[in-house]
Amino acid sequence: MPPLSSRMTKNRPQPIRYRPGKAEVQDEVSEDEESESSEDEAAREEVAPRAPQPKATSFPSKKLAVDLSKADQQTSAAPKPVPKKQDDDLEGFVTASESSEEEAGGSSDEKGGESSEEEEESSDDEPKKPMLRPTFISKAKRAQQAQPQRSTEDEAAEMERKRKEKADEMLQAQLERDAANRAAGRKAWDDDADINPEDQVDDTDGIDPEAERAAWKLRELKRVRRDRLAIEEKEKEREEIERRRNMTAEEREAEDKVYIDAQNEEREGKGQMGFMQKYHHKGAFFVGDDEQDEEVKKVMNRDLAGARYVDESGDKGVLPEYMRIRDMTKLGKKGRTKYKDLKAEDTGRWGTDLGKKRRDYDGLDDRFRPDERGGGEREQTGANAQPVGERRRREDDGYRDRDDKRARYD
Amino acid sequence: MAHQADAKKSLDERGYTGALIRGDNPLKLFEKAVRDRIVDSYYWKEQCFGLNAATLLDRAVELTFIGGTYGVAQKPTPFLCLAFKLLQLTPDKEIILFYLEQEEYKYLRALAAFYIRLAWEKDADVYTTLEPYLSDSRKLKRRIREGWALTHVDEFIDDLLLKNRVCATTLPKLNPRLFLEDEDRLEPRVSALGEELEELDHDDERDSASDGEVEELPNGHANGDGRPGSDGEVVSDEEMDGD
Repeated sequence: MPPLSSRMTKNRPQPIRYRPGKAEVQDEVSEDEESESSEDEAAREEVAPRAPQPKATSFPSKKLAVDLSKADQQTSAAPKPVPKKQDDDLEGFVTASESSEEEAGGSSDEKGGESSEEEEESSDDEPKKPMLRPTFISKAKRAQQAQPQRSTEDEAAEMERKRKEKADEMLQAQLERDAANRAAGRKAWDDDADINPEDQVDDTDGIDPEAERAAWKLRELKRVRRDRLAIEEKEKEREEIERRRNMTAEEREAEDKVYIDAQNEEREGKGQMGFMQKYHHKGAFFVGDDEQDEEVKKVMNRDLAGARYVDESGDKGVLPEYMRIRDMTKLGKKGRTKYKDLKAEDTGRWGTDLGKKRRDYDGLDDRFRPDERGGGEREQTGANAQPVGERRRREDDGYRDRDDKRARYD
Repeated sequence: MAHQADAKKSLDERGYTGALIRGDNPLKLFEKAVRDRIVDSYYWKEQCFGLNAATLLDRAVELTFIGGTYGVAQKPTPFLCLAFKLLQLTPDKEIILFYLEQEEYKYLRALAAFYIRLAWEKDADVYTTLEPYLSDSRKLKRRIREGWALTHVDEFIDDLLLKNRVCATTLPKLNPRLFLEDEDRLEPRVSALGEELEELDHDDERDSASDGEVEELPNGHANGDGRPGSDGEVVSDEEMDGD
């Protein structure tokens, strides 16, 4: 006959595990239970009115040597661990170092199992026994730990002393540094702590009075000389102006001619600007210092217009119009506009209108102006201002008859 | 105006109601960049708060170098900070002259000279006040952008009178001395060399008179004059009194 089992399994019913916070409800226990669990049952029944206790616990469930009801009045023989200030919230937990003296008791708790609890726990059971943090300590280490530790109270005092000492030391060092800085004359804002003293210049006077006086004399003389030279320059200019004023007109012209001829001679040596050559002006500043080097003077006076690149092909006038651009790198690029250069695209009337008489139709719109008298020049620009003339033939267009609609490549 | 320890109002450009220099806030003599560096520096914040003319004297005698801004971050020198403070305070003429006349502290003198060049508006006064100190040949340490330089009090004052830009500030325009002499506002400068210069001039004339045609003297001559001696004598009597 199959065993009557409400659970439909052949497994033996295990004792219910402790799940914290969960109320333990066990069904009727089958007879196959081992005898070991019977004690638990008994224990359970004992504390039934209280909250159901966990099965696997090192807390003594049997008769205790100590009466739990008088918990507060108990004083234990074993040294109580003083909870450290910072462990107020962790008062229940005892770290390994503190609980080392209870380790022996603790480990035996776990090993002994429930049956031997009552004998071994009575010695070190305290009313408010803090929960042991189960840390494993090997046999070797256990031997070390067996030595009696100093009380943690003394330890705390010791730590305090050490900290005070360190603070004192640091303060001392700081004071010494301040004194040294003050002695060295360094100011608080002056963070040039790494001024190299060798780099610094010595400004003590009176090291060599003779030499210093001589140096000063030299400087003073230079200043005087500079002043005198300035006066002389001015004098020369005034003289020159006077002289020219006193000459007659012909003499002035003669002098000017000579000067201009000299300039032209200089220019002769230089080449001409080619067609559409890139123009570079040497600049209007830094002209004619007398103190310039020879090399600098040569550079400033070199021939800019006549300079040719080594691989320059020469006159751009022979090129087709499409290729007449200053900057050859832009040739052939897609999207190249018809823009040639600023000069060609300029639509301003630079000075052409000056000095012209006022006419009646000056402010009028282009549409209402009279036609040009005598078929004059096209002063007015703009696509619609000119009458339609003959279609301009572009040079590179190829001269085609009107009959042919496309270029022939025969 | 009552002395305000904070003197923040002068830094605020909007409602400035204080002494004007050349019609504007005195602090505007320094450029905005330099002003910002000064006001952000530790020296200014710690040492230059709540100074008046007397306490500024204490700071100034502790100066050990002149200079504008230096380093990568354009750090201002204490000299520059104190000059800025002087501009903020705009002390009286007597006080500045007192600073200038102190023989014992050369950096204080340099500071006063700098202030005079910046703040005084009458050119003739600037020249007449500063030129006597061209005979002060003491050494000054100068902090330049990377490192140090040696200069002298007379060189510094000469720079103040001639250059455009000294110590990180563009100096306000000063009419050149020749211009003032032509307008008869100033007498030509009497150099501190005085008699020695006259002696040198005489030597020069004697030499060139004996040489005759040789008028160009070599450059190494201490006097540096290349002119014929006779011309020099005539001109010097008229214009350069014992120069």
